[in-house]
Amino acid sequence: MGSAPSDGAAQSPLAAFKILIAGGFGAGKTTLVGAVSEVRPLHTEEALTSASVGHDDLRGVGSKTTTTVAMDFGRITISGQVVLYLFGTPGQERFWFMWDELSYGALGAVVLADTRRLGDCFPSVDYFERRQVPFVVAINCFDDAARYDPEDVRVALDLGPRVPMLLCDARQRGSAKEVLITLVEHVLASRPHEGPGAVVPA
Amino acid sequence: MSAGDKWLDRSAGPVVRPYALTGGRTAPAGGEVLDLIAVVVATRQVTGGRDGLSPEHRRILRLCQRPVTVADVASDTALPVGVVRVLLSDLTQEGWITVLPQRPADEQPSADLLKEVLHGLRAL
Ligand SMILES: Nc1nc2c(ncn2[C@@H]2O[C@H](COP(=O)(O)OP(=O)(O)OP(=O)(O)O)[C@@H](O)[C@H]2O)c(=O)[nH]1
Ligand SMILES: [Mg+2]
Repeated sequence: MGSAPSDGAAQSPLAAFKILIAGGFGAGKTTLVGAVSEVRPLHTEEALTSASVGHDDLRGVGSKTTTTVAMDFGRITISGQVVLYLFGTPGQERFWFMWDELSYGALGAVVLADTRRLGDCFPSVDYFERRQVPFVVAINCFDDAARYDPEDVRVALDLGPRVPMLLCDARQRGSAKEVLITLVEHVLASRPHEGPGAVVPA
Repeated sequence: MSAGDKWLDRSAGPVVRPYALTGGRTAPAGGEVLDLIAVVVATRQVTGGRDGLSPEHRRILRLCQRPVTVADVASDTALPVGVVRVLLSDLTQEGWITVLPQRPADEQPSADLLKEVLHGLRAL
């Protein structure tokens, strides 16, 4: 308190970043969070509203009744002042309300693609494109899956040329780390250039 | 068999009333819903006096002696996020803690900060 403003980053005693880990059912979200971050327990509530259960089922249930839902959550401490928080985005449709909150102000997202069920990651890709959240697609190499050329996957997902794609093994720390590095490099590269007359490449 | 059982699936916990800790309040007192990574910090020390704080308020206040995120408070107290938000807003309203200004959601972090993140990730 009371210190003169210096450069922006030094102002805040804690710079916290959100990174979302998305993908279809069983795509490796929990595995990736566990491989690369310090996993921490986190629960959120889901109200039992008529949207989540059949309307008639609500009779006799107080409006304050909720279920708690465990979320994938992990921390990566970069320094005493900089921390990355990984949040797995819950897949089931009834948890979509959480996505808006999770993606608000997010640094970026990882979409895990399972080539055996590529369609499962369409909703995540759509979502991040619409929200303009920078994302990378990590193709999880499941043992029994045929190997695909990432460029074929790009076509199948109808992704633009600038969305980074890479193969990964979510179980391997090094591989999971590479996915996050690719994401942050992508965020850095897509930053609008500063200063007058700067041209943002189309 | 309780009425709630049929709603449970493998991703849901038991039907509980976590908001009992907030006196049934499900919305933060100030109306503002804190982001999961909003950073809060105590403005003063926890005292032993009659300050109207519940044991949960005190636990949270102790965690806030250093800047912490809402998600970390929820994780450290094992309380659901919504409950933590209500209790944090009580503490904010009473002046025990303050929410540190955040980078606006539509503003990019500085290149220097991103490079620091990259450097840190590579060093993991
Ligand atoms: N071979 C291989 N197996 C993986 C990989 N990633 C995850 N798995 C396995 O796939 C299974 C599902 O992984 P999870 O991390 O639970 O997937 P998830 O996305 O969290 O699944 P849900 O939360 O149920 O949607 C587990 O048995 C993992 O061990 C990978 O990169 N390669
Ligand atoms: Mg999972």
